[in-house]
Amino acid sequence: MAVNIYSLSIMFSILFLLTVIELVRKNKLQERYSLLWIFISIVFLVLSSTSGLLNHLAKILDIKNPPSLLFLLGLIYLIVYSLNTTVVVSKQNERITRLTQELSLLKQKMSNNK
Amino acid sequence: MKILIIIPAYNEETTIQKVIRHITLKMPEADILVVNDGSSDETSKRASQAGAMVVDLPYNLGIGGAMQTGYIFAKENDYDIAVQVDADGQHDPSYIKDLIRPLIDNTADVAVGSRYISKTGYRSSLFRRIGMVFFSFLVSLLTNQKFKDTTSGFRAVNKDVIHCFASHYPDDYPEVDVLVKLKKKNFRIVELPVQMQERQGGKSSITALRSLYYMVKVSLSLIIGALRSSEE
Repeated sequence: MAVNIYSLSIMFSILFLLTVIELVRKNKLQERYSLLWIFISIVFLVLSSTSGLLNHLAKILDIKNPPSLLFLLGLIYLIVYSLNTTVVVSKQNERITRLTQELSLLKQKMSNNK
Repeated sequence: MKILIIIPAYNEETTIQKVIRHITLKMPEADILVVNDGSSDETSKRASQAGAMVVDLPYNLGIGGAMQTGYIFAKENDYDIAVQVDADGQHDPSYIKDLIRPLIDNTADVAVGSRYISKTGYRSSLFRRIGMVFFSFLVSLLTNQKFKDTTSGFRAVNKDVIHCFASHYPDDYPEVDVLVKLKKKNFRIVELPVQMQERQGGKSSITALRSLYYMVKVSLSLIIGALRSSEE
């Protein structure tokens, strides 16, 4: 197999997919956050291994160099996923604040009862 | 009428005792709760020495998170009125009675102490004044009610508003934001003239560098807030 953008993509996708699965297996990544990663690695795997499909899609979108479509998809995915991550961070931030408040109020109550 | 005075404090050891004593003098019937927002100095100790109840937050949550802690406390302990007073001595406790009167008479749900309604000898920097004029314009536009001093932290709220704040309160720079949110929920807000003093210690949390962030963040939050339905 020649080393080119397609073979590199295939190898990377497979490695990445395996890494994600391994992380979930070791409980280092929760299932719910792994879904999007698994999804994108499968999409990449399919697109890079069936260059016909990639070429076809590129043609429809008027992209001269089909591998550019891979880059575009990767980039879009990263942007979407980081938005998703900040949503998760916001939610956690809110929960941590609430926990902090409840904890402090509880401590105040306890010291009052002493 | 159970009244709670909430004082959010972050490194205010120089002024906190004076503020608490002054409040106790003017409002002996009210309980005082100091929310120590992760201070690294003696704020907490001095506040309890002065006779206030103190809640210590383990780290700095910011003014929004600290105030909300106070409102949750007010809700859990069934207070009828909560008054926010700054720990730096800017707010004169003599005006607390004026602020809570419309709430007791049930002519308003929220009373805001305003520096600008009457002549009060309060001067602030040019940049700050521009910001205030801008916010007062924006808030007046969004709420159809004239507001002079939208950034004042000297305010009293009744039980319904306490409950509302306990479940949701903006995390930073909450003063301007909540006016619009409360108006959307059809709470009645009045502005009353108060005299404000120069801060007696500590530094304003709003430095020159943060001013821009403040303006952008609050404006954005107001505009997006206007797009929300009141149920949310």
